[in-house]
Amino acid sequence: MSERNSVLPSSLASAWEPIADQSRSNRALLLMAPLIVFELLVFVVPFFILLRISFAEESSDLVYAEGTWTLQAYVDVFTSGLLRSIVGYSFMLGIAVTLVTVVIAIFYAYAIWRSDGLIKSLLLFSVVLPLLTTLVIRTYAFQPLLSPTGTVNEILLSLGIINSSIQIVPSTVGVVIGQTYIVLPYAVLAIYSVMATMDWHVVEAARDLGASRPRSVLEVVVPQVMPGIIVASVISFAWSVGAYAAPDLLSNSISFAMQVEDLMLSGLRYPLAAAFSVVMLVLMLVCIGVLFAVLNRFGGDFELA
Amino acid sequence: MTSNLHRETFEDVAFRAGYLALLVFMLLPLLVVIVTSFSGSGRIAFPPDSFSLVWYGEFFESIRWLNAFTNSLIVGFGTALAATVLGVMGAFGQEIEDGSFGKLLAPLVLIPLLIPPVILGITLLMYFNEVGLRGSYASIVLAHTLWATPLVYFVMRSVFSRFDWQQLDAAHDLGAGPIRSFVQVVLPNVKHGIFVGALLAFIISLQEFVMALFLSTPNTETIPVLAWTEIRQALDPMVSVVSTFLILISVGAIVVAVIATNLEWLSKQLS
Repeated sequence: MSERNSVLPSSLASAWEPIADQSRSNRALLLMAPLIVFELLVFVVPFFILLRISFAEESSDLVYAEGTWTLQAYVDVFTSGLLRSIVGYSFMLGIAVTLVTVVIAIFYAYAIWRSDGLIKSLLLFSVVLPLLTTLVIRTYAFQPLLSPTGTVNEILLSLGIINSSIQIVPSTVGVVIGQTYIVLPYAVLAIYSVMATMDWHVVEAARDLGASRPRSVLEVVVPQVMPGIIVASVISFAWSVGAYAAPDLLSNSISFAMQVEDLMLSGLRYPLAAAFSVVMLVLMLVCIGVLFAVLNRFGGDFELA
Repeated sequence: MTSNLHRETFEDVAFRAGYLALLVFMLLPLLVVIVTSFSGSGRIAFPPDSFSLVWYGEFFESIRWLNAFTNSLIVGFGTALAATVLGVMGAFGQEIEDGSFGKLLAPLVLIPLLIPPVILGITLLMYFNEVGLRGSYASIVLAHTLWATPLVYFVMRSVFSRFDWQQLDAAHDLGAGPIRSFVQVVLPNVKHGIFVGALLAFIISLQEFVMALFLSTPNTETIPVLAWTEIRQALDPMVSVVSTFLILISVGAIVVAVIATNLEWLSKQLS
């Protein structure tokens, strides 16, 4: 705390001194300048370099051949059956996880919104704690739980629900469970933060008019929290398509992230890795655009009805 | 009427059972990690066959883990400092005057959060290769700052929007310079927000894994990266010991942040 107090005012002060006499807008601009420069240097410029490298030739002794221009890496991405199947798998995973996550997140956010006191704090805590815990922990904990000799199988066997152990991990079902656990906290909070601004009386009015409780939630609450649902879907989708830890630990399949890591760190094939990333990013943007349009319309239609 | 009542009771029970099951789902994996860290054998099983503190002893004797811990602290403090300075200044500047640059700022700051960390990791690795920062602490700090700054920025936007700016004008009218009026008038009102922002930035850096995996070398590897390497080789309870420390640090951070503000507000900031 003491360190923070001493560091912060001095850095602000030094940025302030030369601009003390200037006008309000110049001062505002100078305060924002470091952040803008940072985003340009560490985010925008690197993406142009990624784009540039994706058009370079591969090189046998360097990671890529400088100053060359070719479309070879893109041709490789589109003609490789392996890469195409990996793209398919990653997007399938993204869609499955997003669907499961958003449905659960709406329910959980609603439960938090309707509860109060200790239960509300406990529910919020159960969302915030995993969110602030590393992905590595969140993923590997599912191994002792879901493996053929794991806790869930032992319980099911001893209860006589199943006769022989089922293999949840490693399998795609395991990945969907693990990845849902990873993105769920973000989705719940995105939806909850919109829901918390809602007026409960609107829902009550719908019920007074005879709507059943599930129906009132579906037709009154869901359309109103659509902005939160859109954010939750975009985050769940983007991160699940790019999932790395869960597919690696909980399945035998290869996701985009694992393949591109292999190309980069083991294969040192920078142009191919760059082109693969660019293609994935563009495909994801297209999907997010479609998702956005569909959900927006869905919300809009409900408002008209 | 009775059937209606029956249905409502059924709905109540189903609703409660639903969110309690989810509560268990959210906390069980973390509980598994903590319980297995006290395992007496070399195998991770839940519940463990026997209990002991032997793996905690091993941790404090392992130079590799302690080094990773130091690396995590260096990167975490670096990120907290950079993200806080950038985020507070940016949000403050925008609060003074929300011009055309200001409107560009929010999306620009937010977009990195929506890009899969793997793609960010690859992009930054290629970039740091070009500019000669590869393998440095700075490369990981910059990557984590990209991820942590939006949080500090949006926390501060929310804090500044609740501050009564007429107080600052009054200080100006009374002859206080910009620095003095900021330190004496604005800072006391927003210091809790700044502290919580910095704390969140630190935790985000401490827990971030994918970008750190791409950018770190054996000399700069952080705790999550080393944990990942170990998990892929053999799953022994040492990983749970380290994870328990990480979970405890996060619990501590939440408690401190909640004391400084409240849980409801904190939760909304994280989305």
